[in-house]
Amino acid sequence: MQTFLSEQEDLVGTLKELIIRTLRLEDVGPEDIVASEPLFGEGLGLDSIDALELVVAIEREYQVEIPDAEVGRRAFASINALADFVLEKGAGQQASDAVG
Amino acid sequence: MRFKDKIVLITGGIRGIGAAISKSFLQEGAHVVVTYSQDQDQARRFQKELGPGGSNTTVHQADASDFDAMKALFDNTLEKFGRLDILVNNAGIRRDNLVMFMSESEWHDVLRVNLQGTFVCCKLALKPMIGQRWGRMINIVSPSGIMGRQGQANYAAAKGGVASFTKSLAREVAKIGITVNAVSPGVIETDMTRSLPEQTLAELKQSIPMGHFGRPEDVTGAVLFLASEGAYYITGQVVSVDGGLT
Repeated sequence: MQTFLSEQEDLVGTLKELIIRTLRLEDVGPEDIVASEPLFGEGLGLDSIDALELVVAIEREYQVEIPDAEVGRRAFASINALADFVLEKGAGQQASDAVG
Repeated sequence: MRFKDKIVLITGGIRGIGAAISKSFLQEGAHVVVTYSQDQDQARRFQKELGPGGSNTTVHQADASDFDAMKALFDNTLEKFGRLDILVNNAGIRRDNLVMFMSESEWHDVLRVNLQGTFVCCKLALKPMIGQRWGRMINIVSPSGIMGRQGQANYAAAKGGVASFTKSLAREVAKIGITVNAVSPGVIETDMTRSLPEQTLAELKQSIPMGHFGRPEDVTGAVLFLASEGAYYITGQVVSVDGGLT
């Protein structure tokens, strides 16, 4: 359990950096992104076009597939949700191997 | 060599305007992936015409409106080259008829190849181009899609649809370094136009302010410009290459 939690925390940090880098968010640091808050609309002010870039970046980085808008909405609900999605669909297999 | 080592995918690229576009990109240093739907003899003739320049070309038989077939081709291209820079949607068919006599299949076939084919290929090109933050999509439309033409309601609907699709997609990806434009060739001297009756040709000529038909290279000039770095601020446009017809 401990391993899983620390892996998720690491992933949250990595995802924040990936989002900043992919969307070239100026004047935004990882500490400015609240992991539990919505990624789109409020907060960072990201829009659906930003989502296109994020989908491609996440798919490339973690070999997961976000096949439609519904899956995307769930995955991008927040950074925490995104980390859960990646752990479950992609690196999740490795994570469960590590925990098991 | 404006397009040295660029990867270009052209649907319907072995005859007429499509073949001229393929050859122009090759001459400018690109690697060209070309599709055709059925005519294997023409595909062989096209490859023969390319001569030594053909080594930078791969020719595939694929229906541009078939998502699975095109996905396999895109995956293959990305595996081989690692990127896709330019997409030209040129594949198209016509099944002319007056609406009152037009069958459902004449309607659906034309919509499927011309309109759905463009959607399928643009959709498949998006992820690689977004990943690169660079891409050029150029859709070939027609004056019929702008002005309408009797006997071509299906073709006009499809090409008009492609023009509107072009403008919408351009807005979706404008921030990401991808431009989406359309080129609308008027009456161009190809085997297809040469086969028209003399009277039709004369009437067509009369309707063109410049008084003569265009050449395939007139169209390739516009396509290659829109695909170039210099056209980065042009998106969502329909460029007519028609001697003033529209």
